[in-house]
Amino acid sequence: MSRIATTGQTGQSQAAATLRQLREPAFWADWTAAVALIILVIVFGIGSSTFLSWGNIQAILVAAAILVMLSVGQAFVILTAGIDLSVASALTLGSVVLGQAYSHGWNMVLACVLAILAGIAVGVVNGLVIAKAKITDFIVTLGTLSAAAGVALILSNGEPVTIISSFLLRLATGSVGPIPYFVIVAAVVAIVAHIVLFHTRFGTHLLATGGDPEAARAMGINTDRVKIAAYTISGFLAGLASILLAARIGAAEPAADTTFLLNSVAAVVLGGVSLFGGRGNIIGPVVGALLLTALVNGLTLLGVSQFYQQLAIGIIVVLAAMLMRYQR
Amino acid sequence: MSAMLRKVSIVLAILALVTMIAACGGTSGSSSNGNVAAIIKGLDNPFFQAMQQGIQDESRALSTTVTVQAATSITDTTGQADKLQALAGQNYACYVVNPISGTNLVQPLVPISQAGKPIINIDNPISPQAAQSAGLKISTYIGTDNISAGKMAAAEMAKLLPNGGTVALIGGIAGDVTSQARLTGFQQGLPSNIHVIQTVAANWDRQTALTDAGNILRANPDLSGFFVANDDMALGVGRAISDAGKQGQVKVVSVDGIQDALKAIQTGTLSATVSQYPYTIGAMGMEACKAAMEGKTLPTSVTAPVLVVTQANATQALASFPKPFASYNDPFTSLIGK
Repeated sequence: MSRIATTGQTGQSQAAATLRQLREPAFWADWTAAVALIILVIVFGIGSSTFLSWGNIQAILVAAAILVMLSVGQAFVILTAGIDLSVASALTLGSVVLGQAYSHGWNMVLACVLAILAGIAVGVVNGLVIAKAKITDFIVTLGTLSAAAGVALILSNGEPVTIISSFLLRLATGSVGPIPYFVIVAAVVAIVAHIVLFHTRFGTHLLATGGDPEAARAMGINTDRVKIAAYTISGFLAGLASILLAARIGAAEPAADTTFLLNSVAAVVLGGVSLFGGRGNIIGPVVGALLLTALVNGLTLLGVSQFYQQLAIGIIVVLAAMLMRYQR
Repeated sequence: MSAMLRKVSIVLAILALVTMIAACGGTSGSSSNGNVAAIIKGLDNPFFQAMQQGIQDESRALSTTVTVQAATSITDTTGQADKLQALAGQNYACYVVNPISGTNLVQPLVPISQAGKPIINIDNPISPQAAQSAGLKISTYIGTDNISAGKMAAAEMAKLLPNGGTVALIGGIAGDVTSQARLTGFQQGLPSNIHVIQTVAANWDRQTALTDAGNILRANPDLSGFFVANDDMALGVGRAISDAGKQGQVKVVSVDGIQDALKAIQTGTLSATVSQYPYTIGAMGMEACKAAMEGKTLPTSVTAPVLVVTQANATQALASFPKPFASYNDPFTSLIGK
């Protein structure tokens, strides 16, 4: 965003400056996800009497929680000019580990911790191979996508495990006042991620590593360690999200669902984070995740058949991407 | 204002706008709209397309309105849950559910059950333990017993291989309840002179089944037959057999009864299928909703019709498709006074 000199500005010229900014396509491109979400809310709000009911908004927020967490993790990785294709399998592996531990009589808290550790393990493997062995992130995470899925199948013997736990049921259906637990967890993740990215030295190093790795190294930043940290964060969040997944569907299912993976990348890119690294924020990917979730919800409420839903989602994503061409 | 503050205020403005719209937005009324909502598995399989057709045709016949939503694919557990959650907020009078797994729809069903709305569980059963621990009240289950379907397939395979032989099993998604039940039933019903040499999981995918069958045939040139957990995959297996030049020599028995499979049995590409009637299951689900909405008590569980289709009766089966070609018991017709 262009910064206009603010020393000694009067209120009038400040307003003029803002208006000038609004006319620049770059401004709208940075806020693609937000713009699309507002348009969506208006269209669906008019089209369906239940879309804007509090119950439905709650449903959207709860449904988006897992994707929000995966998108935040993906954002950290993409900000370093990388990509993490393994999130779908890390998610599956985490929930399988949880399911196996719990069904063997282990304590739920311990099972959750193990799920998170499984996610971290995938992330650390990704980070080490990418940073130290200097292999392209695309290939490495594609490999861990498959490997983690395989481990999940081996651990579970290919069978889903029903998880009946009052803790998880409460997590999935309970709330603090009007705000469901799922939403609180996702919101906390987003807020902490934002603070880490913009108010810690690590965050600055992360943005520098993605923006210009040569310059970052010249300044003394250990870009290898930053990258490992980014992938570990992504893995950690996938592990955390796997607990929510197990709560939501009441089981640990060994079949990985790549929809989450594709949507996490789409949410991050629609949220204004550059695939070349170094540029972006956390709120963009969060809005992107909400956009993709609200889209499916709204189309369902309008009674749009499954086939047309997929067409509609594809068109909207491409339109949003076209708007993003104006990004600087 | 700094750029950061500007961004934050824009976000807050958006939130305020949405909250305002929500405040004067639609309120969900306490009385239902008298319509039925149905959520089924993915339409990428003709089995569920027939189910959707059955639901819609019966709804027209009963003069009710139904909204059918399907999952994105046969593995889309969270997507199906999200869709049901959206439908739950729309205050339908009755819900017909065909869950992808035994538990993925339990959580969205909780508010529906708490509101006292009838829940008609069709085809794939909701796990009784999960339902109990979540306090769900399921009005009725309508489906076919997949274990007996597997046994019927085994009996047919025994007829096709009177001198015994070796068979390979091709299942759906590893660990899937339906697939597991069909494979188990088949193995239970096999005579002692037929041996199972290999079991693979082909994810309900025709392409995967084709590749797997081709590999198995190459590794076991004396294989006598395949049992395939659904027709969609069986068509892939049939293709693999003809690619290997062994059409007619290797028997293929499957379960489902989709139209293409019936045609393939006519031409001899497939040997037999245990025909379940998703059209009828869907239609009976609609009837159950009508009965429930009129306040009638529903039987806890109803078995939908299952018939074996072979080359002998394939033409007859195709003529009456998607309905069964023999009579069956439908307890709902008397309840709704048809």
